[in-house]
Amino acid sequence: MSTRVLAGQPAQPAPGPGPGRGPARSIRSVSGAVSVGAAALIWIALLGPVITLFVKLSPGEVMSALRAPGALTPLVVSLESGAVTLAVLIGLGTPLGWLMARGRLPLPRLWEAGVLAALLLPPLVVGLLLVFMVGPLAPIGEALAKFNLSATNTFLALVIAEVYESAPYYVLGAQAAFAGVDPRLEEQAGLLGDRPARVARRITLPLAAPGLAMALAVAWARAIGAFGAVIIIAYHPYGLPLQIWTTLQETGLPTALPFALVLLVVALPLPLAAYFWSARARGRVRD
Amino acid sequence: MLEAEFETDRREFTVALALSIAAGERLALFGPSGSGKTTTLETLAGLVAPRTGRVTLAGRVLTQTPRRAVPPWQRGVGLLRQDPGLFPHLTVGQNLGYGAGAHPDRERVGRIAAQLGIGGLLDRRPGEVSGGQAHRVALGRLLLARCEALLLDEPYTGLDAVLRRDLTDLVRAVVAERAVPAILVAHELAQAQAFADRLAVIDRGRLLQSGPPDEVVRRPASRRVAELVGYQGFVAGAGPGTVMGVHPERVVAGHSDRGPVLTGKLTACRPAGAGWEAELATAGETIRCLLPERPPGDGGELVITLLDPPVFGPDGVLLPRPDQVRA
Repeated sequence: MSTRVLAGQPAQPAPGPGPGRGPARSIRSVSGAVSVGAAALIWIALLGPVITLFVKLSPGEVMSALRAPGALTPLVVSLESGAVTLAVLIGLGTPLGWLMARGRLPLPRLWEAGVLAALLLPPLVVGLLLVFMVGPLAPIGEALAKFNLSATNTFLALVIAEVYESAPYYVLGAQAAFAGVDPRLEEQAGLLGDRPARVARRITLPLAAPGLAMALAVAWARAIGAFGAVIIIAYHPYGLPLQIWTTLQETGLPTALPFALVLLVVALPLPLAAYFWSARARGRVRD
Repeated sequence: MLEAEFETDRREFTVALALSIAAGERLALFGPSGSGKTTTLETLAGLVAPRTGRVTLAGRVLTQTPRRAVPPWQRGVGLLRQDPGLFPHLTVGQNLGYGAGAHPDRERVGRIAAQLGIGGLLDRRPGEVSGGQAHRVALGRLLLARCEALLLDEPYTGLDAVLRRDLTDLVRAVVAERAVPAILVAHELAQAQAFADRLAVIDRGRLLQSGPPDEVVRRPASRRVAELVGYQGFVAGAGPGTVMGVHPERVVAGHSDRGPVLTGKLTACRPAGAGWEAELATAGETIRCLLPERPPGDGGELVITLLDPPVFGPDGVLLPRPDQVRA
């Protein structure tokens, strides 16, 4: 899981030049040098697209693209739909993650398998299936129509698609975060007089917070960048990914690039902030 | 006063106990691993639901199946486990005041911290204090939460002996000062004796014997209790079908008029503590005993006297002492 991979990275190297710390020790042998080199190569390769983006773009191009009329509307749409998606995930995904982590659900493997299946389904397929599930001809779509709502090509549809693409990441991340909280601590807090809701507020959530923040950050990046399900069920209103796609289709690569930058600028700060905050919080608890 | 009578189902057997502990009394629940000791504490604390039973504490009914089950957070029962369970995201001071309401009385926190010898640690994180200090914090946290009964689930197992004695003395003092009932669970007899003024021996969920610690050890009510409290050999007694229990520490070398005399062959001898542990082969039984001096000559004859050994009848039940029979 990407959350686990990120969460598993060591908190920043310990400060101070103690023996056995720092790069000097890791690069003492040939095999050490080779492995560090290989790691650096992969790291740079992974960051390659980002580096390319900054190399290819000139400030002038960015400015002129962004000044075009209506150019920033998709950004607003993406931010709004992403925010609503996060609220849905926090409200519904957090309890599910907790229940899964504490084994409070009947047939726990089945629940886990369901979330994993949602994670593994290609987004494009999810989009196709969503049309049959919530489209205008499906029972849910007909029910929505009675309230003058539609789950195709609307803001609602965009949120639905983003929830489907991001929820599994959040739920699995939240499960891992809660599983890391020792149930004995919750039990002890209860014996000290706290009812379960207070235990959750004073013990469970603070201790799971770094992991939850990471899970939320990953979910945000998935939601903002959601494309596969979105292009099928929510072609309108444009979010950033579809803006990039349509610009690419209509006017070509160079004009699409500035919007890629916008997407990156919007999608990355939250995950990065969450990463550094949770790394610090973990370090503090471990001290 | 803590009174409990309950049956709690476990996978292999049912724990069925009746206990009554007065305020200020210290009871040790002693038994082998997996005998239902922890289940008993968890039943009292409300963490495990008994199938049937009734638990009352200081006049309050905590459990009365099937009508009443007070949840753990309203019981006022403190539980200490081997892991002190400090909240890692809070400071020592915040841990101490955790159960003392929204705005714990700083002065009171400071006073208890000083009493427990952790006054200088209030701003530290739990990860920065030693194991013994963490246990002091856990104890102080219970005291500040005004718990009305103290349950100790082998909290000091794994700490070194000096630290363990200090902490045990501390808990004894606290129990005396607060006059709360206290139960210690232990699977080592020495720990149970160091703490308790009453010893209850349990095995497979049943209470076998309860009484003052020295009495339970010297007059075990049955052969099974004798085995649990450290009797390691049983030799034929005077009456038909009777056996005498031999406790390695209730033996002196040589002839003596203080009890029955055993003669056998010394088969092994090794240092144990400040004395010697000898193995004695006699009448098909191998007896182990602790002697202050090294017995002379491996393979030679060794004579020992059993000090007032308990005698069990053919059914494994303790027989009265001969002098008591006469009286």
